Amino acid sequence: MILNIKAAAPPEAVTLPKSGRFSAFSFVDRIVLIDGVKLAKGVYTIPEQVSYFPVSLVAEALGQLAAWVAMSNCDFARRPVAALAGDTRIHAYPLPGDTLDLHVDIDSCDRDSIAYRGRAYVGDRLILELLDTLGSNLDIEIFDDPKALAEDFALLVGAGRAPGCFSGVPLPAVCVTERQTALRIDASLDVPDEADYFHDHFPRRPVFPATLLLDAQLQLAQSLIAEMPEFAQGLQVTRITNVKVRAFTSPGATLGIFAEVATPGEADPEPVLIKVGALAGSRTIAAAKIYFAPKARENA
Amino acid sequence: MAEAVISKEEIMAVFPTVQNTMADALGCDVDDIKLDVSLIEGLDAESIDFLDMVFRLERAFKIKVPRGKIIEDVRGDMAVEDFEQNGVVTDKGLARLREYLSEIPEARFKTPLRVDHIARLYTPETFCKLVIRAQRAQAAG
Repeated sequence: MILNIKAAAPPEAVTLPKSGRFSAFSFVDRIVLIDGVKLAKGVYTIPEQVSYFPVSLVAEALGQLAAWVAMSNCDFARRPVAALAGDTRIHAYPLPGDTLDLHVDIDSCDRDSIAYRGRAYVGDRLILELLDTLGSNLDIEIFDDPKALAEDFALLVGAGRAPGCFSGVPLPAVCVTERQTALRIDASLDVPDEADYFHDHFPRRPVFPATLLLDAQLQLAQSLIAEMPEFAQGLQVTRITNVKVRAFTSPGATLGIFAEVATPGEADPEPVLIKVGALAGSRTIAAAKIYFAPKARENA
Repeated sequence: MAEAVISKEEIMAVFPTVQNTMADALGCDVDDIKLDVSLIEGLDAESIDFLDMVFRLERAFKIKVPRGKIIEDVRGDMAVEDFEQNGVVTDKGLARLREYLSEIPEARFKTPLRVDHIARLYTPETFCKLVIRAQRAQAAG
């Protein structure tokens, strides 16, 4: 059952191997507070040596903290896997060496799903907010070893893991297949046959992480923005809405991904909107709306 | 399982909002969301889409719909073993299902029907009724 945990001074953290289980794609170093099924807090330090840390991995860290609450709440029988992120707001971009303070508020959590919100800070600075996030809780045995997860949870709520286990993720293998300048880019995304993160996500059923798929789509959207002379300078992603991943992508798969310029609606939050999607064959398996705004405004 | 009848007028009153909400969740045109289209076979909805749709409907109508509500309501006070055997809906369970999902044409109830295939029957009208039931439950306190 769920624990009520409030840590005092951290005991000596445990150092794990540089790659593989609980290191290649695990973004919570220590859980410092779990208040029933309502609130959880954790920390994660981005290793100094990691040169590429996509902002989508900050959302991943918040999702993983929420997942620990959901898993411990059902004695590691179920875990959140597929996710919907209604509204992600990016306020700043973290740097290698930064320590993320992770806060998750759980709105509901039962056998089938979890609904939560999250915030990540570096010091007092808000980095990223997750709103309206939902996860489908599936049978944990399909994906992972419940005993190993329970043991890792005990580590995280105790001494924690020594920061620095994560050695980075490879840049997405994106190859542009069609380009309508400043309107739309289509590309293929080759998911590797083998990668360290598959040992962590997930050991019994490797799945290409949704946050890495989102990062590939985000890079395509940024390429499209760069083709628009009026926006080429000084825009950055500030908000991502309607993120949904509808199917699992296995190692070795090739996906079609696209980014296209769309007209923001009157109620839309930012001036520039790029719609992105991913297809397996002709089937849409993921979609999101990515909003860009001038850098100065967000960093002011 | 006695239940107050849900009228066509009640369904049509909530349908436009359900239609828009489903179109947003599925990323399709509003016109594709017909009252009687199968969400899975006709609109390629996945299980994650159902979670998304229920979440959006909760917000749009300011209601609360517990996950798994449809199956829970169908079963009512029926014991699980009376409703299903080894993952297949029993004859008693099917009778209950036909009554609850009265909007679904008889021909679409293929037997044997696996419990995890029940969602293949769902249409936008199923969700209109879900909304109306939730509104009634909320009004009753």
